[in-house]
Amino acid sequence: MENFASLLAGFQVALAPENIGVCLLGAVLGLVVGAMPGIGSLAGCALLLPLTYKFNPTTAIIMLGALYYANMYGGSFSAILLNIPGDSPAITTALDGYPMARKGRPGQALMTANLASFIGGTIGILILTLTASGLATIGLMFGYAEMTIILLIAMTSISWLIGENPIKGIVITMLGILVASIGMDTLSGAPRYEFGNMYLLGGIPFTPFIIGCVGFAQVIKLINEREADEEKRASDDSKQKLSIKESMPTGHDLRRMLPPTLRSGFVGTFVGVLPGSGATTGSMVGYAMQKKFKSEEPMGTGAIEGIAASEAANNAAAAGAFAPLLALGIPGSGTGAVLLGGLMMWGLNPGPLLFDTNPDFCWGLISSMYVANIFTLLVAILVIPFLIKILSVPVKYMIPIITCVCIVGAYSTSNSMYGVIVMFVSGIVGYLLDKNGFPTAPMLLAFVLAPMLEENMRKAFIASRGSLNIFADSPLKLVLLAVFLVLILTPTVKAVRKKLGAKNKTPV
Amino acid sequence: MKKLMALTLAALMLLALAACGGKSGSDGSGNSGGSDTFTPSKTVTWTCTSSAGGGSDIFSRKISEIMTNEGLVNGQTIVVSNETDGAGEVGRNKIATMKAGDADYNLLTFNSGDLMPMVQNTKNRAANFRILAIMAVDKQLLFSCPASDSKTDYAKAGGDQTDFAAAIEAAKNGTFVVIGGSKGDDITTYNKLLAEVGLTDAQMSYITYDSTSDAITAALGGNVDFVISKPAAASQYVESGDLNPVLALSTERYSGNLADAPTLSEIGDYENVEVPVWRGVAAPASMSDAAVAFWSDALGKVSGTDAWHKEYLETNQLLDQYMDTAAATTYVTDYEADYMAENGIS
Repeated sequence: MENFASLLAGFQVALAPENIGVCLLGAVLGLVVGAMPGIGSLAGCALLLPLTYKFNPTTAIIMLGALYYANMYGGSFSAILLNIPGDSPAITTALDGYPMARKGRPGQALMTANLASFIGGTIGILILTLTASGLATIGLMFGYAEMTIILLIAMTSISWLIGENPIKGIVITMLGILVASIGMDTLSGAPRYEFGNMYLLGGIPFTPFIIGCVGFAQVIKLINEREADEEKRASDDSKQKLSIKESMPTGHDLRRMLPPTLRSGFVGTFVGVLPGSGATTGSMVGYAMQKKFKSEEPMGTGAIEGIAASEAANNAAAAGAFAPLLALGIPGSGTGAVLLGGLMMWGLNPGPLLFDTNPDFCWGLISSMYVANIFTLLVAILVIPFLIKILSVPVKYMIPIITCVCIVGAYSTSNSMYGVIVMFVSGIVGYLLDKNGFPTAPMLLAFVLAPMLEENMRKAFIASRGSLNIFADSPLKLVLLAVFLVLILTPTVKAVRKKLGAKNKTPV
Repeated sequence: MKKLMALTLAALMLLALAACGGKSGSDGSGNSGGSDTFTPSKTVTWTCTSSAGGGSDIFSRKISEIMTNEGLVNGQTIVVSNETDGAGEVGRNKIATMKAGDADYNLLTFNSGDLMPMVQNTKNRAANFRILAIMAVDKQLLFSCPASDSKTDYAKAGGDQTDFAAAIEAAKNGTFVVIGGSKGDDITTYNKLLAEVGLTDAQMSYITYDSTSDAITAALGGNVDFVISKPAAASQYVESGDLNPVLALSTERYSGNLADAPTLSEIGDYENVEVPVWRGVAAPASMSDAAVAFWSDALGKVSGTDAWHKEYLETNQLLDQYMDTAAATTYVTDYEADYMAENGIS
């Protein structure tokens, strides 16, 4: 109850006119930044940070918090409409969102993403309010061994994306891991696969790689489909005019999305709290988990459940990531680290005493998240009809537009042409792979998860001096291991029971 | 046919971009040459090879803010540019190879933590830059979190995490001890500490974290026995009672709430281990002497301001140690030679 009293005091801060103003500004900027491929919350916050130095710290963090938060909404827009994830947490949203939009239900797909984001986010903020500092302490219970198992669980989501040809799927997953291992080894600092090239020393930057593999590869594909599209457009030009009303999901849709949203909301918050994981792992774990529950359509073919599971989890994780930041001064993600830098710039001392020394700041931020959540939902719903117009733009105009967006996004990661070159190369490679039946999604997921898995696993082995016991010496680890084993064994058991009969095709 | 077109187009664009990328190193034309005095007459670019919001970034922005506010740069603006490609090596190399002229308008944040990976992984050396000044020096301590869950061998064996002498004894007798810390400086300190107390990394191991805050997280979660940190990063945790200062990696004890931590020579028959962590400013090797004198002097003026002391040094609990270009060059060159000798780099 004490927490709610503090929260109400926090609302007094958050609802001051200037704070509402910056919150709205942050929400709108976050949506834009999130929807632009490549400029994720990390870049968005980093770019805005210098602007906020003159602000009062509470106002500044409210703006950046709203931006971070709204970014999770925005990321799904381009994922659903263009099959280009606006930021990494939206990779899993694209898996079902884009097919659903292609099926002629883009409005419902966007609406599902927005509602799931809202509900998932609300669950995350509520948990944050109720437990505040307690939540962060739970995060600390997780050592390397626990994180390793959680990442293995997240990795199982790859198996669902592999498609019809398992060998090609495995090859492409390995390729993702190989590409991720370029650069300096995180533990020893030794260079790997850098071939004497200074740029490769820093590794393959994530954002340009993903924009290239997904976005630019899509452009090359569109170039090939251009004439077919024009013929199609000539024959039917009546479609694709959608109002907010028409994009409302039906009651049946809502019933389908609610259970995955709630589940992902809780799991996502929890994953967000874990040190070093953040929204990307959150959405992948949420999506992987949904695979274990019933979906009306198969996942990956435009299932509402898939969009809901991934979007709810990433917003919840974004909220959860604030717990260790506020309670312990520990950043839960890259964006968290930038915010932490901000806290220091504004003259606050992030750390375990922040809740005691600056309660108005902490609670002002938490209550502003409620406000930001509502603002973002409203703005996001209002822009749906405009967004959907994107789909009716002829392909010949889309090609240059998407190419520009890809270049800008790739450039902005490190403000250099290196990103753009990586983007083009991975775009061409991504296109060729796709053309030859290698699905790119497993490569991207492996690229994100493999470095984290490697780091945690190697740290676990250093701490245990190479003994495997470290993965099974506490009840928590045993429970996690059990979850992991159930996840990987169920399909095998099912397959044996079905005697390998069913050909269940899951295009990616 | 269409497929071929698409590919050709993509390949062409790539070539065009590669060509642009090659040229982008130089921008505008400089005009100062061999004249005796230098006054900035256009925008100054300050390259910081770490991302926005980090320690190096704050250092760069604070100095440029003070320079602008105090009117030290003839009313010109200083733009901080974060260049993180190739783990910072690309940005450093760009400065090292910059042509004269532009060189007068380019500064680089250059810390001990930048020098070590550069010397390890590239052919660039401190001699490829002009070292303009050292602005501040930091030292480290060993901290522990005795209240955390016992996850390490040493903690499980009932080892005392507040007593480093006991940990050395335990390690010698076969109990595995784990120290955590950040990259760069902290690894060097760990290696020196290990050599001094006569242990191997199989007895007392080191886990590298991306940042000190990650390493502290690990200590709070009980994943490491001890953590190497600078005073500033740990001070909040010491105040709240979460972290406990165990050993001062310095030739003398710290003051304030860190005064309890003994130095290495106090806990046994060892020499004190101290690895200074310095923060400095460098410039292209081709910067004119006049410009070097100007910037070194301007940085000296910054280090004398109240704003620098209150808003930077005190906030980050750093030692004020300004060295002008001559002193800093000698200091950095010696530091580099030491580091290369210790790590067998030729």
